[in-house]
Amino acid sequence: MRRRDFVKGIMAASAAAKSMMGQQAPASAAAPVAPGTPPPVATAPGPVPWMRGLLDVKPLPMTPLVADTVSASEANFFNPEQTATLRRFAEVLMPPLKGYPGALEAGTPEFLDFLIGTSPRDRQQLYTAGLEKLDAEAKRLFDIPFAQTGNWQADQVIRPWLRTWITDNPPKEPFTRFINVAHSDIRTATINSQAWSAAAISEGKHPPDTGLFWYPVDPDLHREMATPKPELNKRHS
Amino acid sequence: MADETVDVLIIGSGHSGGMAAKILTEKGISCLMLNAGPVADARKDTELKPAYTLPFRGFKQPGILPHVFQANEFNANTWVDEKEVPYTYDPAHPYNWVRVRLFGGRSLFWSRQSFRLSDYEFKSKSHDGYGDDWPIDLREMDPYYARVEAIFRVQGRPYGIPQYPDGNFVPDDSPWPQCLQRFVAAGRKFGVPVCKARSSLGVNGLASSVNLLLPDAFATGKLRAIPNVVVRSLSVDKNTGLVNEAHFVDRISRREMSVKARVVVLAAGTLESTRLLLNSKLANSSGVMGHYLIDQVYGPGIVASVPEARDGKANPQMTGGAALIPRFRNIDSKAKNFIRGYALNVFSHTDPMDPRNFAEYGEALEKKLESYNGSGFTTGMMGEVLARFENHVSIDKTAVDAWDIPALRIETRYTDNEFNMARDAVETSIALAEEAGFEVLTRNYDPNPPGYSIHELGTCRMGDDPKTSVLNKWNQSHDIKNLYVVDGASFVSGGWQNPTITILALAMRAAEHLGDQMRQGNV
Repeated sequence: MRRRDFVKGIMAASAAAKSMMGQQAPASAAAPVAPGTPPPVATAPGPVPWMRGLLDVKPLPMTPLVADTVSASEANFFNPEQTATLRRFAEVLMPPLKGYPGALEAGTPEFLDFLIGTSPRDRQQLYTAGLEKLDAEAKRLFDIPFAQTGNWQADQVIRPWLRTWITDNPPKEPFTRFINVAHSDIRTATINSQAWSAAAISEGKHPPDTGLFWYPVDPDLHREMATPKPELNKRHS
Repeated sequence: MADETVDVLIIGSGHSGGMAAKILTEKGISCLMLNAGPVADARKDTELKPAYTLPFRGFKQPGILPHVFQANEFNANTWVDEKEVPYTYDPAHPYNWVRVRLFGGRSLFWSRQSFRLSDYEFKSKSHDGYGDDWPIDLREMDPYYARVEAIFRVQGRPYGIPQYPDGNFVPDDSPWPQCLQRFVAAGRKFGVPVCKARSSLGVNGLASSVNLLLPDAFATGKLRAIPNVVVRSLSVDKNTGLVNEAHFVDRISRREMSVKARVVVLAAGTLESTRLLLNSKLANSSGVMGHYLIDQVYGPGIVASVPEARDGKANPQMTGGAALIPRFRNIDSKAKNFIRGYALNVFSHTDPMDPRNFAEYGEALEKKLESYNGSGFTTGMMGEVLARFENHVSIDKTAVDAWDIPALRIETRYTDNEFNMARDAVETSIALAEEAGFEVLTRNYDPNPPGYSIHELGTCRMGDDPKTSVLNKWNQSHDIKNLYVVDGASFVSGGWQNPTITILALAMRAAEHLGDQMRQGNV
């Protein structure tokens, strides 16, 4: 059927339907109607009810991809100098070893930029002040930014501040705290990365830190709706 | 519209609520249980996931659960969010209020350490003059402890030490590994008893209200339960002065409802029960409700290494297993700068060492971790916090929770007694470890914030005198005879022991008493 004929057909059917409704109208008006009867329920638009057939759809043959597999985080919290310092710090503390990625290969500096950027202010200050002091120490000792230190120079800056400590009780002095907490964070972020997991799997091992994740149990809808949206990350000035 | 008056209304579904429900329903008494959270189904609500698939790589989501040190990204959804149910405190003296509102409460996740209190706790004032004695003693509690130990299948070894009372145990005949034999010998040299720990085996790996108590109660056909309802307040009959109604709100829809009851049993957890009573302005003629908040000092301890177990030489005969050093200070002699005492949890670890125990990084750290793998040995303190009037909770009218229920303000702090005790615990740990030939790697003298132990106790203490206590020795309100508080709020002193088995025994005893009183028509 040509398009013009199809349109004509639709219009004709529409006119016939209107005519049928018109004929039925007097009879309908005469029918007894119980007081308070609700109006007919409106039907959903469209030729078939929404979602019909959805239950019959087979699951998509798809394994969701974790973004880290193909994407890089866009770092936007630390300033360029802090970022350079953090990258060198992470590289020194957690280099690639025995087939496992180092912190840089695991995208750890970029992940920490995101993590710290969304953290409470005291944690942000611990990091920003710590990175700046790290850089200042390198300049004081070697007259170069920390980001340009060699391994021996970096060791001279870092080692005096390394401490042993027990979970939940990191050192109290701010710079010592930064060095040791950041070290722990860098290790965790690296070992918990997709890259590290892939390295483990390639060696026939289970990914580290696989755990029992709890989904929200009967989430409180009111709270979900009331939760304010997080502020967008702001570049640290 | 329903206009039923239930026989017993139980608020809370954890260990204490579950025990009250079991005992009362088995006596043929009908109970209605209200719980503030949903029923969890681990098969439906959980999934094994690698950390990298989570939004924060396993780190706790920033800003969430700042006072729940036990939380991580995997389990974050099991804890109460303090933005939803806030509490206030002096920022200089924070309190870690760690809560679970799932059906079964914290009984779903507890550590299962299972200890009786001794008369050094029940009759502490008689022993050292500080604080108050409980109105009950170990002899009176013994039959209830024994029944609880049977239900929870407490495994232990008897020692005949009065500060570490024996019980109705599944025998623990396991041998000591060599490193613990050396630690036992070191303890003997210093007069420190090193014993087998005691723990609830439970059934199928769980020792919770939801598998050991509530199924029995439901099987009687006498227990009904409503999840996801938050109790706002209780009210009393103005003619009789008896509590007769609970007002609650649906957690999700916010619909306000109420239910009438002949008896109310509070088992919402120490501070939630007290918060509910304070918000209801009930049962506080003594003026001590909210006061004498107790917990236990956790955090101080050491990490050591067993040298012989390094470099791949560890084996099951040498390492692994656990021990417990029960309180030994201020029993037969006096410590120089603190009263009461502490216990030490002792573990020989067969797993990788925590890298924080080495002041190294990079390849050197990896070599250390490889060498020391499986040689770890730790001690951790569980110390008594003295019951003090000034450590207290009250209603903060400036803050409300997600259902507009006024929040709790918690004001508590440790004093020199706790700090001196912590120092002694660490020094003793070091002395014993070195005597046993271990290398001490890390030591921590600083207590975690109050509340960290998740053993909040007191605030509705029991006693014989209605002027100085909220409850009588049956966990029954002095003021309102059809009101019982069966969770940890009744504690007069806390000792060093995980309080769960005592809470269970007290709840059992209180429910037995309540059942008898109802049968006799007294309640």
